[in-house]
Amino acid sequence: MSAHHRSARIKSVHSRARYLGSCAAVALATMLSAAPARAQDAAALNAEAAQNDWPTHHGTYKSYHYSGLEQINAGNVKNLEVAWTHFPERATRGLQSTPLAADGVLYYSGSYSRVYALDGATGRTIWTYAPELDEELVAKQTHSPYNRGIALGGGNLFVGTVDGRVLALDMKSGKQMWDTRLLDSKKVTVGFTGAPLIVKDTLIIGAQGGEWPGRGPIFGLDTKTGKKKWEFFTVAGTEEAMATWGNESWRTGGGGGWMPGAYDPETNSVWWGTANPAPLYDWSGPDWKKSGARPGDNLYTTSVIALDPDTGKLKFYHQELPHDAWDFDSAVGEFVMLERGGKKLVVHPNKSGFVFVYDRSNAKVENVWPLVKNINFVKSIDPKTGELIGRRDLVAGKAETPLCPAIAGGISWNSGSYSPKTGLYYKIGQEWCMELTVQKTTPILEPMAQLNIAADFKLVAPPDGPARGHLSARDPVSGEKKWEVNYKAPPLSSVLATAGNLVFVPDAEGVVHAYNAEDGKELWSHNNGMGHNAGIISYMAGGKQYVAIPAGWGSLVSDEYIALYGEPFKSMAKNTGALVVFALKQ
Amino acid sequence: MPIRFVMIAWMAVIGPSLSDAAFAQSASPSGQPAKPPEASADDLDGQQVFLNTCGFCHQDGGRAQGRGPKLSKSERSDDYIIERIKKGKPGAMPAFGSVFSDGQIIAILAYIRGLDD
Repeated sequence: MSAHHRSARIKSVHSRARYLGSCAAVALATMLSAAPARAQDAAALNAEAAQNDWPTHHGTYKSYHYSGLEQINAGNVKNLEVAWTHFPERATRGLQSTPLAADGVLYYSGSYSRVYALDGATGRTIWTYAPELDEELVAKQTHSPYNRGIALGGGNLFVGTVDGRVLALDMKSGKQMWDTRLLDSKKVTVGFTGAPLIVKDTLIIGAQGGEWPGRGPIFGLDTKTGKKKWEFFTVAGTEEAMATWGNESWRTGGGGGWMPGAYDPETNSVWWGTANPAPLYDWSGPDWKKSGARPGDNLYTTSVIALDPDTGKLKFYHQELPHDAWDFDSAVGEFVMLERGGKKLVVHPNKSGFVFVYDRSNAKVENVWPLVKNINFVKSIDPKTGELIGRRDLVAGKAETPLCPAIAGGISWNSGSYSPKTGLYYKIGQEWCMELTVQKTTPILEPMAQLNIAADFKLVAPPDGPARGHLSARDPVSGEKKWEVNYKAPPLSSVLATAGNLVFVPDAEGVVHAYNAEDGKELWSHNNGMGHNAGIISYMAGGKQYVAIPAGWGSLVSDEYIALYGEPFKSMAKNTGALVVFALKQ
Repeated sequence: MPIRFVMIAWMAVIGPSLSDAAFAQSASPSGQPAKPPEASADDLDGQQVFLNTCGFCHQDGGRAQGRGPKLSKSERSDDYIIERIKKGKPGAMPAFGSVFSDGQIIAILAYIRGLDD
């Protein structure tokens, strides 16, 4: 909703209130103005396409990362040029966040949870916010100090911090409204890097975890007060789940949910992907149900879970990889919600390189298809049941052949994009493997020294060629491929498809590509001068369409590129960044 | 480097291969292990500490460039490496100065110095 429409409606309602001339009428007017605003916001959130605004991390609740705007299109994209640029302060590890846009204002976060509100048409700064963090703690963290996104709702902007807090800021002024500590990060080492998800009046955010020995909580907070409403442990969050961790290994189980999930209003379910158990690798071999570091299935790690947003109660789940012994977690946040043949489905990529398709009402597996070629941690996954066939459970010592994919995954946390116009899902895949020696370890409980890997490893090329990446355009349900573009180094940015029949890919070397969404033909490119490992959005401001791309290199996956590819990554600046915004030439 | 550091480092290299009995043979006449006050037996397993905490970035056990640089055959001085472990490098490496004891840091250094390519 545009600002002037909102104020016009408020004005008309207020004049009616004056006419009635009573306090009761004023109260009624307030309700009348709030209700349609909420209804309109809800409609935008539930839409397939993000239109003028980009209201939530995944575009809308349907997670398409798709813009319905078509002012910039396949016919005129050759005229796209830089409209304005913004430089964030302290861009340690580059920029990794996905911006949001509302009513012509662009909001984005940088490292140390710094937040910027900018005029979407000109880039003029409206306000900035730099939270005071526990700097001593942050200096001791590995998966830090980057931030991957923010949320908007009820006039506030929300951001998590790596020292374990969630903050609410007034969208208009940047004034802090509340500050809630959820994690004692001095003890558990980790905090929050992922964007929150807002559902009605609840903010949902997942903690980092994985190789860190906590219980990986996901929290629900009251958006107005910041008060905690609920907490769900992705490690042993129910009695049933606790029984899947032998030797009380749930106490150091890892888990977490470090990227935001999505919301299905039809079943009132929040879908969230959970992280891997700790240690990353296990020495149990095929006897993993009874021996090793964490005997059993290790619920609810490496799973997709559906939570009631109001209570945090688990409704249903599917564990994508029971007893994940390869660090192929399910924390990739996108849950592409679509309908096919009258069936309501949700498509979710797993880090292993497999894409899972579920029945949206109960997480029953409808299909599983591989996005990447180089997979050998299993022989296959049964597309009807999701059962892992021919698991490769390692024992202590050097693995005979490299494990594929490598620790960086066949799929990383950057989101793909689904175009309802072409019916194609555009997704980055990664082809690489790693030499691996599994080591027995004991969980360390000393804060900041708790990383529990249980292996040493080295990334190597896969058997079928060099380590590489690709963007493929596929049917999201069957996985059937229509076209593919290959890259020497896998792009680590999210992808944006638009109604202008375009697919944008900001790549690792710094070049932004625009492809024809139908056939993958490159139509435009621009070098931003540094690699991308963040999001990409499109929005309207002052009647004009913009494409906003954070540039800035330095994620934990991108750090691998020096050894794999040499230049330009060896010389690429890591601790800098820029938000580069494009529009059509006047 | 102080002699005491070198001694701990040497012990760290051979420490993982020493059984309890072998360790006991090096005990002082009083029957107590002859070790400096700030180090404990657990500190001496530099390999274990390295694999748990450092190997995530310094890959192949420190023998290969990964997220962090290759450490085997490093030309950096002992003092430089100790300082880097303690203070870290913003945006690249956490500061472990208050996480590991001096004994553990020396054990990590000894592990690094003992690495083949």
